[in-house]
Amino acid sequence: MDEIKKLKSENESLKKMIESKSDILSTTSHKIRTTLTALKWTLRMFLNKDLGEITDEQKKYLEKLIENNEKSLSLINYVLVSNHTGEIKESINLSKIDILNLLEKIIFIFSGEIKNKNINLIFNKEDSEHLEVKCDEDMITSVFENLVENAIKYSHNNGEIIIRIKKDEKENGILVSIEDNGIGIKEDDASKVFGKFFRAPNAIEKENTGSGLGLFTTKSLVDKNKGKIWFESKKEGTTFFVLLPID
Amino acid sequence: MKKILIIEDDEFLQGLEATKIKNSGYEVITAINGEDGMRRISDSKVDLVLLDLLLPNYDGFQILKKIREGELNKNIPVIVFSNLSEKSDIDKANGLGATRFMIKSNFSLEELVEYINKILLK
Repeated sequence: MDEIKKLKSENESLKKMIESKSDILSTTSHKIRTTLTALKWTLRMFLNKDLGEITDEQKKYLEKLIENNEKSLSLINYVLVSNHTGEIKESINLSKIDILNLLEKIIFIFSGEIKNKNINLIFNKEDSEHLEVKCDEDMITSVFENLVENAIKYSHNNGEIIIRIKKDEKENGILVSIEDNGIGIKEDDASKVFGKFFRAPNAIEKENTGSGLGLFTTKSLVDKNKGKIWFESKKEGTTFFVLLPID
Repeated sequence: MKKILIIEDDEFLQGLEATKIKNSGYEVITAINGEDGMRRISDSKVDLVLLDLLLPNYDGFQILKKIREGELNKNIPVIVFSNLSEKSDIDKANGLGATRFMIKSNFSLEELVEYINKILLK
């Protein structure tokens, strides 16, 4: 009995220690993010000549600094998302989620970016009032935010994104697919797409900034929720599929 | 000239935001904490509030709640401009009636001004 008591007490101490570390990480990351944001805005003001004329050489340096600053921001955003959604924190909070509603909210969040690139976004919903999955809402929100953001980022102006959702009776799950007609994923890169710090050369060419952690995190969050994620890609365009459990 | 109130406790960020917004043709007034921010909303005729969330005295959520409950200028557009990015914070601000939630690090100041222009139909 004493042994069990001791283990319980140690377990509690460990939990407290993890929570405390997570808090420190969150506070520090927020502070770093604020500093990087200030740097981003200041550099852009110089580049936009809000603070006076600049030479072509100064412009080149500023552009490089902005690129590197965006990379640092992506990394710190990754730390914050990971800390919050469970890449570092292990607990998972399962509940029934209305997946249609969740996707609609995410599409709304990105409506500005979709409009800016003049992308035609089509949301094909199955004729069902309620499509629910049993997952951690924060984690699944992060999964679809990443996938929709990527679809926008790697689409060309005036492109098209189609989001489909349907029940998969065989797998007892809900299948969501996000199709874009953007730059696609080359065959050589296909096996590395979910790897840590991987960014495909054509992705870097299209969008220089990015941590190379987005799809790695996305897959790990889907796995934690006992789901599956995969993709199909042609020369132009990629479709990501996410299958999530109903129960 | 339309008047924008920036409630932001980080003086450096506030200075950058104010400079960009002023250069885009708006009058700008500022507040460095929640209490001062609420006083300015009651005292001045403000057309839009740019609201940070983590503030001394009253936080951004409390200010937004007071605005929408009608204690201040009930229908004024409020852009929540914060580096808090957790879903619970975004949902809370939207639930309290934010016109738009923007995560600072995801936007440039030009984009911020574009949204302000859209909201105020400039």
